[in-house]
Amino acid sequence: MTKPRLSEILRDHFEGVEFDPDAPGLGAGAFEAWDSFAHFNLLLLIEEAYAVRFSVDDMTNLKSVAEIRAALASQGIAA
Amino acid sequence: MELRLTATSGLLAGSRGWRGLAAAHNLDFGEYGDWARVLTAPDEARALVWVVLLDDFGPGEEEVALAALDARLRQHLTVPTLVTWASADPGSVLNGARHALPSRAASQRFETALYQRAAQYSALHILCLDELIAESGKRQFFDARNYYAARARLSVAGIDGLAWAIGQMLERIVVPPRKLLVLDCDNTLWGGVIGEDGLEGVRLGQDGIGAAFQDFQRRLKILAQSGVLLAISSKNNPDDVAQMLDRHPGMVLRRADFAAMRVNWADKPGNVTALADELGLGLESVAFWDDNPFERAEMRAALPQIYVPDVPGDVVDWPKALAHDAAFARFEVTAEDRAKAAQYQARAAFVAASDGQLDRLGFLRSIGLNAQAVPIDASTVARAAQLCAKTNQFNLRTIRHSAADLLAITEEPGNVTFLTALSDRFGDHGLVGLIIIRPAGKGAAEIDTLLLSCRVLGRYLEDWMLAEAIRRLQPQGVRCLRAAYVPTGKNGMMASFLPDHGFQARANGSFEADCESIYCPGAALYDQAPPV
Repeated sequence: MTKPRLSEILRDHFEGVEFDPDAPGLGAGAFEAWDSFAHFNLLLLIEEAYAVRFSVDDMTNLKSVAEIRAALASQGIAA
Repeated sequence: MELRLTATSGLLAGSRGWRGLAAAHNLDFGEYGDWARVLTAPDEARALVWVVLLDDFGPGEEEVALAALDARLRQHLTVPTLVTWASADPGSVLNGARHALPSRAASQRFETALYQRAAQYSALHILCLDELIAESGKRQFFDARNYYAARARLSVAGIDGLAWAIGQMLERIVVPPRKLLVLDCDNTLWGGVIGEDGLEGVRLGQDGIGAAFQDFQRRLKILAQSGVLLAISSKNNPDDVAQMLDRHPGMVLRRADFAAMRVNWADKPGNVTALADELGLGLESVAFWDDNPFERAEMRAALPQIYVPDVPGDVVDWPKALAHDAAFARFEVTAEDRAKAAQYQARAAFVAASDGQLDRLGFLRSIGLNAQAVPIDASTVARAAQLCAKTNQFNLRTIRHSAADLLAITEEPGNVTFLTALSDRFGDHGLVGLIIIRPAGKGAAEIDTLLLSCRVLGRYLEDWMLAEAIRRLQPQGVRCLRAAYVPTGKNGMMASFLPDHGFQARANGSFEADCESIYCPGAALYDQAPPV
């Protein structure tokens, strides 16, 4: 199974919102729909998509797309 | 449905697990932990789902919770309140070696309190998650990480399971369970093909796969006892199936357990439609179980209203699949449900017996037909209104009188109104007919309503009702009876009713007859036949 790109997961999760998933600095709070609930659910979707598990601290500290990408890279996943 | 959800801890609103439920209902999760406020809010008139995890309750909180639930139930008697709850974690099971585990005692206390309220409030529905959680396992259902990161105890898989169970419950609140299950025979009720393997060769009972088929039949029998009708649609020689039903020692189900049968080589959608007609049921009440994927696909394509479950590939999984199928689950099994099954069986027995009788009138004379006129009053008006609402086929004018209308009509002087109770050797059929005749000028009256439940057609009960009504009209000086047939698309069987009974067409499209010349020969079939 090919794993989806992180930008595709973002697009699906925030369906109906106009944004650039590759914009630098993108992260929680970037627009109204991206609140703390939506962010938590995003991390759960990423866990499922890449079969990884984030710690409690990861769930509270990973706020930006860049931080998420780095956390995935540290587990050997290019997203 | 507009749905308000609240919980004793977080619900991961917006999680993937809620997608299925959100596709069917409008979900509002409110604020975290707002259950006490929502339950006691007098203006929260939406259906309410309250998720209670007993692990969340601190000391004394259970009493507070039940008091809040009482407030909700008293304020909203007709809006559904769904309490979906799970036991607390028991800790080491060794703690239960000598005394009941404290968590289990707490669960029993809470459950008892819930069902006491369910007995009092019909809007309360209870969904215990413990069994559901046991199916997938607590490790799957809960995620402690989510609790410490977001105060939500469930995993995404847990939310998925919870949402599925809530969806099932809500569907059953709105859609009644299936009333008729139509079954195949070969490789469904028994293993093998009776036409090839013979009575000794089919696999049923004893060990292995034969025991699974027999357990499947036991499950079917339990369903039948809860009020689901069973029928057979199979491609076999009728004699082969009859042999199995009458003679095979392993059969749990016998001929009397089936309300009706179609054993022939015709296509199954046609047979199942005929079975539903014979039993007077709509296709949306029917389910179909067949081991053959081709037959299932054909049924789904031809009759999408019929429920065709995805039958497991291995028969060993069938007894459980049937027992767990929500399509047949019902909130209550009343004495009426059981009586209903017997009434339908009586109807099917009548149809089957009369098919074999060349001398139809001789047959009808032999079955002890007995009709009684029953007045419309407080104890019978609900049934009269139900007959007005539901009878489509044998209904001359299809006027949907309400219970209040019917009581008012009964009070009016000059009206002749009665329900009709029927019994015969196939059973007591209950109140199955209604006639209302109202004055229409000097010496004349008019048929307002004449209807019969389709369960009892073919017995000329309409003749008895008409004759009995005329007997009651004559002392009032009524000489002439008028009537009109109002076609609806479903009551075509009434098109020739009036001319057949001696009514003459008038210029305005209605009909008229002298009471003397109205023709009701079938009335003579009844023990209590009035002298007309």
